[in-house]
Parts: sequence; structure tokens; C-alpha cells
Amino acid sequence: MAEHSEITASLRAFQEGYNKNKRLKKMNADWDRIVLVQANDIPSTHTLILRKGELTIQEGPPEKPDLKIISDSETLADMFYGDITPTQPYLNGTLKVLGTEDDIVRLDFISLMIWGE
Amino acid sequence: MKRVVSVSLGSSRRDHKVQVALFGEEFEISRRGTDGNFDQAIALLQELDGKVDAIGLGGIDVYLYAGKTRYVVQDGLKLMQSVHKTPVVDGSGLKNTLERETVYFLRQNTGLLPPKTKVLMVSAVDRFGMAEAFTALDCEVTYGDLIFSAGIPYPISTLEELEEVAHKTLPDMCQLPFHMLYPTGKKQEIQDEEKIKKYGHYYLEAQVIAGDFHLIRRYLPFLKGQTIVTNTTTTEDVTFLREKGAGHLVTTTPDFQGRSFGTNVIEAIMVVLLQKPWPEITPEDYLNLLKQLDFKPRILKLN
Repeated sequence: MAEHSEITASLRAFQEGYNKNKRLKKMNADWDRIVLVQANDIPSTHTLILRKGELTIQEGPPEKPDLKIISDSETLADMFYGDITPTQPYLNGTLKVLGTEDDIVRLDFISLMIWGE
Repeated sequence: MKRVVSVSLGSSRRDHKVQVALFGEEFEISRRGTDGNFDQAIALLQELDGKVDAIGLGGIDVYLYAGKTRYVVQDGLKLMQSVHKTPVVDGSGLKNTLERETVYFLRQNTGLLPPKTKVLMVSAVDRFGMAEAFTALDCEVTYGDLIFSAGIPYPISTLEELEEVAHKTLPDMCQLPFHMLYPTGKKQEIQDEEKIKKYGHYYLEAQVIAGDFHLIRRYLPFLKGQTIVTNTTTTEDVTFLREKGAGHLVTTTPDFQGRSFGTNVIEAIMVVLLQKPWPEITPEDYLNLLKQLDFKPRILKLN
């Protein structure tokens, strides 16, 4: 089990990886989304805000998320640190991503572009 | 009579059956769509296993390529592994030969592909040989893999960048359910109007639009005489392209009674003719057989 602070740190690492990737920002310039990141084993929520290609992070839940990412704290921290890709936990049901299929594919893609081999 | 069946995840409305003679051998070639139903496709494959001479997998790829790296689509592999006795192919072995040759044929025999032609490949990792051929012939190619498969409006303009993005993303994305990456079943029958508005300009900026027909069709705006290079087209598809303003249709696979079948079907026929296990078949085997069969691209003027 990871702590809330570890999830926060992993999201900061994810944000840093994203924001220093100019190509990724260009790719997502049209994709404004508010994403809830929620642990289901500890009280921990964060909000990812993608606007005009820039990614920011806030602690706490958003009012109206476009996408919800829900998993156990360990999986969330591992995933946003890039230790695991979202695909396996998504396929085995550990990770739930609630949103349109297009958005789910795109989130997966962003993660792979940051942390992929 | 040799029987070749293409089992497709695509719409059953496109089902078709023809008989042709090749090298004096009668072939019954049929296509059976399962409307995107994966379990139904598995059941049909198991039913056909050992009862037909070769099986093609349609509406799905098993192998994608970027450069020398091969990526395995897990859903495609599951389908392939459900067949144990009959040779089963997805067309990727032949694509590398046939579609590359088609591009060179167009340059050498038509005026449809002069140097600097602007080409949109709606997807290139499913036909990397074609992508390499366009590049080798000094075409200005836009690879639309991210645009049309992932919904990311980022045109890739070099094979190097395509390989790099593929290397980062495909090992994992190939594990996703195939329908998340490619239109299957009923989605093949309808156009995505929202995305046509967003991405239709990539078609209009090109002179040649190449690649998988279902992807081309799904996002196709009204054209201004562009050439379409594809396969798996029916008579209805030809009418559709004509109404949409396409100039020419080039199909990489030969016409059998008004229908251009997918490369999976043609590869399955070739496996029967070559009488060799699929892993032992080389690109040269395909090339020699293509020459002996005198298979040439079909070029149809539409408007």
C-alpha cells in the first residue's frame, strides 16, 4: 500500500515527464480534459488538468471530471512513476478507467510516450 | 476443389463467395464476417479448422511492423492460436511484397504517382512495406497512425519518427482489445462525422490516400479527385468512393468477380499453392508466385 504523499510524488514525476516533452504537448494541444485520480484503498484523490497541451495537478477531487482513474494506491503510484504501464492493470481489472474509449486510449498513449521503452 | 475461407471481425454484410481457377486448380474463396464478435470468430475458426485448405484472418492484424521490429497484436494472436490443423495467415507476409510492388507499379506504369506526390497513409504500421516504397520513391508522406487509430491530431512525416513512436507505444497498445484501436463490426459501416470534421483536411491536403480501406472509409470527407490505394473493396465501396469524389481507385489485390479481397485471402491462396509451411515461405516465394499468376493492381477511374 502506498501513501497519499507517494501518489502525489508519482503524479509530480508524471507531470514533469509530460511537461518537458514538447512533442507530447503538441500532440495534446486539442485535448482539454479534467481527470480524477482516486485510490480505492486509502483516502486519496488528485485532479489532473490538461488544458491547451499543458498538464497541471491539484490535490483533491474535481467537480466534474471527464475521466476517472481508480485503482489501489500501489498501482497508481507505480503507474505514474512509470514502473508499470497502465495496460496490464487495466486489462486485469485492477485499474478502472471510466470515460470514452477514445480518451482511455489517449491516456494510455500519453503514459507510454512518457515512460515507454 | 480447394477451399479458402477468410474469417473476419468485420461486418457480415460484406460476406462473399467466388470460384476461381489458378494454375488449373479450382478454388472456392469465401469471406465470413462475425460483426466484431470475437467469440463468434473463435468458434468459426475452430469449426473450420481441419476442414478447409487455408484460413485468412480478416478485420484484424496479428503482426504489425515498424522498421525491422514486429509487434504482435494479442487479440489477433488469440484468433490465430485457436486454429491447430489448417494453415492460417493474416496477410502481413504478403503485404510486404504485394503492396510494395503496387507502389512501384504505379510509378512505372501510370502518371498517378510522380515524385513529390503528397501521400496520406491512414495507417502505416499495418503495411510498412508500402510506407517504405512511397518514401523510397520520393513521395511526401504523412503517416496518420496517431490521427486515425489513437485520435491524436499529430501527423508523422518520417519513417524514423514512426518507428520511434511505435517502439514506445506498440508493445503495450497491441495488448489492448483490438476494437479500441480499429473499427470492427458495425463501425465499419458508418462514418465518424465528428472526426471527419476534425481530420478530413488531411485527406484533402493529399493527392494519394493509401492504407486500410475501413480506416479510409470511416474518416473520408468529400474529395477532389484524389487517388485511393487500398484493397478489400466491394462493388458498393466503389460506388461510395465515386460518390465521394475520388479520382482513381487502385486495389493492390486482384479483382475476383467485382471484389478485391484482403491480402489475408490472397496470402491464404498462396500458402495453398506454395505447399510450404507458412514460416518457411519467403518474400521471394510470394514475389515469384505473384509474377507467375500475373497478379497486377486493379486501377479504376472513378471521376
